[in-house]
Amino acid sequence: MTSRVFFLCSVLLSGCVSTPQTDQLLAGQAENSSRHASHHIEGVPFFPQNDYHCGPAALATVLSVSGVSSVVPDDLVSKVYVPDRKGSFQVEMLAAARSYGRIPYIIEPRIEHLIGEVQADNPVLVLQNLGVSWYEVWHYAVVVGYDLSSEKLVMHSGEKKRRMTRLGVFEQTWQRSDYWGVILLKPGKLPRQVDEQKYFLSVVDFGRNNPAVDVEKAYQAGLERWPNSKIFGFALANLHYDMGKLPEALAGYRRLLTVAPDFAPAYNNLAQLLSELGEHTEAIVMAEQAVALGGPHASLYQKTLDALRQ
Amino acid sequence: MNNQSVRQLVCYILVSMVMFAGLVSQSHAVMVGTDTVAAEVASDLGREEIKDLLARQDVSDKLTSLGVDIADVSDRVDSMSDAEVAELNQQMADLPAGGALGTIALVLLILILLDVAGVTDIFPGV
Repeated sequence: MTSRVFFLCSVLLSGCVSTPQTDQLLAGQAENSSRHASHHIEGVPFFPQNDYHCGPAALATVLSVSGVSSVVPDDLVSKVYVPDRKGSFQVEMLAAARSYGRIPYIIEPRIEHLIGEVQADNPVLVLQNLGVSWYEVWHYAVVVGYDLSSEKLVMHSGEKKRRMTRLGVFEQTWQRSDYWGVILLKPGKLPRQVDEQKYFLSVVDFGRNNPAVDVEKAYQAGLERWPNSKIFGFALANLHYDMGKLPEALAGYRRLLTVAPDFAPAYNNLAQLLSELGEHTEAIVMAEQAVALGGPHASLYQKTLDALRQ
Repeated sequence: MNNQSVRQLVCYILVSMVMFAGLVSQSHAVMVGTDTVAAEVASDLGREEIKDLLARQDVSDKLTSLGVDIADVSDRVDSMSDAEVAELNQQMADLPAGGALGTIALVLLILILLDVAGVTDIFPGV
């Protein structure tokens, strides 16, 4: 029996002890001047896990750091815990964060990105499988610091506050969740390392159930980061239109068309707005531009133009 | 007010409501919405387009059957995007649910060995 166990272990080990991200990170550290060798986020509250409530505990931690005051894990059990699965789904962790007015942003699946966010004082909520594929032990924890010289991460995990975890071991456990890690953004804040399209979609999801003023801050932050962005310029102008801020919407569409003169949807929406503002002649010119450019919404542009010509 | 004039009044209110609703929807019908652009961005990123109108109810039912309090379910599902609802609906049985920290005796020895080897990280003391 013992020999079989060791045989099994050696088979398993031969296939899985490889930590390419950790190796690359540590090898490149000497050349990377912008990355600090160690960083600990100060003042991160710790909520020891009860029962199977690591999801609520980890979520309460990152919500608190993002400025949501007085939230405790017990408040979150009814939002993310699934009794018969004795755990919490990733999707529900994201949805619950939104219900507290925070924008969840899923980081790139790389340890260097995780380290980068921690250095920027954004604790990262991670999903790990602490076990193996044939014995899964799914677990949420929060990375609150790192020390590359000792090759360790600092984590609030389960019942352990500031637990030191070897980077290589962490990579093993994190890789099994496809390197799933989330930071929570107060509207108006951006991740340290951010992808325009992914951030945009995060804000759109956030906007479904959150106040327009918060969504506005989030789009504005995107537009400041990417001044020539079509999607942020368009979304912000649309939002201003929906909020009844028509002068802002008008200025937004006009500005967008100076940086993206081929963006037909903006001509179409500007035409509609102009007609509501009584600028009928210019509205028709804009609608004609949209029709001339065409594209996937060409029939809608034609409808706008027909309505204006009536 | 006699019956005739009440009927006229109701009729007038109904007609104006319908007309107003028509006007509102007409003025929005010709705008390209942010959701439309978002769907195009999602498609650029290789995410599938989701149009399952019944999925929200399905997910609500599934969560309830897994022991979630029926009073909490609708708020929980409301906070999800369409794509998230679809993901949960299609894969709930297979998705990881983070939460567990427990071990049964049979596999204990192997797991301790794997912990020592740095493959797993179940036992904080090892």
